[in-house]
Amino acid sequence: MPLSTHRGRYYSVMDALQNWLILRGRGFGTWAGTWARTLRLGAQALVAALSPSTYNRAMLQVVQKQVYFTAWQILPGFALFCALFSVLIILIVGETARDFGLYQYALELVMRILVLELLPLMTALFVALRTGAAMNTEVALMQIQNELGALERIGVDPFRLEILPRIIGGTVSVLAMTAVNIVVGLALAHLIIVDLQPWSLAPGEFSRVVGDVLNPAAQLALWLKTAAFGLAVTVIPIAEGMGTPQKLYYAPISVLRGMVRVFFVLMLLETAALALLYV
Amino acid sequence: MTVSDNQGTPAAGAARKKRVILMNGPADRLQLLASHREAAVVSETHPLRANLSVLENIATVLQFRTNSYIGEAEDIALRLLDRAGRRDCAGKRDPDLDYEERFIAKLLRALVLRPPLVLIDRPAQLLPDTDYPHFLNRTLAALDGEFDQCWILDYAWNSPLYRPRA
Repeated sequence: MPLSTHRGRYYSVMDALQNWLILRGRGFGTWAGTWARTLRLGAQALVAALSPSTYNRAMLQVVQKQVYFTAWQILPGFALFCALFSVLIILIVGETARDFGLYQYALELVMRILVLELLPLMTALFVALRTGAAMNTEVALMQIQNELGALERIGVDPFRLEILPRIIGGTVSVLAMTAVNIVVGLALAHLIIVDLQPWSLAPGEFSRVVGDVLNPAAQLALWLKTAAFGLAVTVIPIAEGMGTPQKLYYAPISVLRGMVRVFFVLMLLETAALALLYV
Repeated sequence: MTVSDNQGTPAAGAARKKRVILMNGPADRLQLLASHREAAVVSETHPLRANLSVLENIATVLQFRTNSYIGEAEDIALRLLDRAGRRDCAGKRDPDLDYEERFIAKLLRALVLRPPLVLIDRPAQLLPDTDYPHFLNRTLAALDGEFDQCWILDYAWNSPLYRPRA
């Protein structure tokens, strides 16, 4: 084979490798840029939410609307669904524990599985699908159509009027819905394990187990995790929407990316919380 | 760039505050917009908030800037809509508006805060189905007293449209 052919192959392989590295590098740059934007927005939102000067009547009205649409409007239906789900889990855990002769541990198992893990995660996933997707789409369309730029031009800060109220309202909604579902779950656990089978637990055992499982450290971890869920299901979709290029065909891509990232972050937070509590 | 004052036949008060700026091309336009950052702009590229009604679009801006109660801001917005003769479109959202209604909503949103200058950017884009020089004269005359200065930015090749007609 002539030497020139060898050199030609060598250079084509090197060119392909170089192109591959450039593409990977660009992809990494985009990925890192997106996460940097998300973290920056989260930090800005936290600082602004803690600053009293951020709040005015127009902003609070948008917060109210967000809480209404995210939590209040759907609360009866979602609480009913969570109640049915809780009954199912309580019965399954109770029966399984009874089969192994460990019924006295059923309540603690229910508390740990349902109250500390499943209900907060389910609530966050529900809000992500219902509200996070809507926020992502709405902010992406606002960005594409320059609605945010138009507000800025007439002297209205779009971050304070349109972005921050959605983050605050969404996070408050996740916390409130989780609290309601936990109360309903605890009431059902009491009803099924204590009220319907009074012989199964010693008097005062329910309060002791609840106090034991929901000790201050566990409560702190639970509410910090839930607040992080709330921030994740609002900040990530909004950051993704704000980063959408001003072309209409990017809207579905933006929502797709936003939802996938929300899912992975929720799973990551849940895994981290489990590892911190039990490992 | 050419400036022509008080063209057309508007009411006297509004006419004194109105100017038509005739631009030679997009570069002139960008330069003018950049040099008047304080002005409120009415433009095709500055849309209304699509999921808010016309009333909310106007009132929210006022409420945000003055920290007033929403009822007070809506009263002012309704009064402006009345003056422009478009109270009927107060509850409509952007996609349900025709060109004239959308223009009025954008104009009222721009002047509700009484900015020192309102720029109406390329009215031919905002009002493609309307004899817009007359429509602008009528509308600005109806809203006389609600704005200090209003400049209409249009291209020089549209200047014949602004000549007084018999």
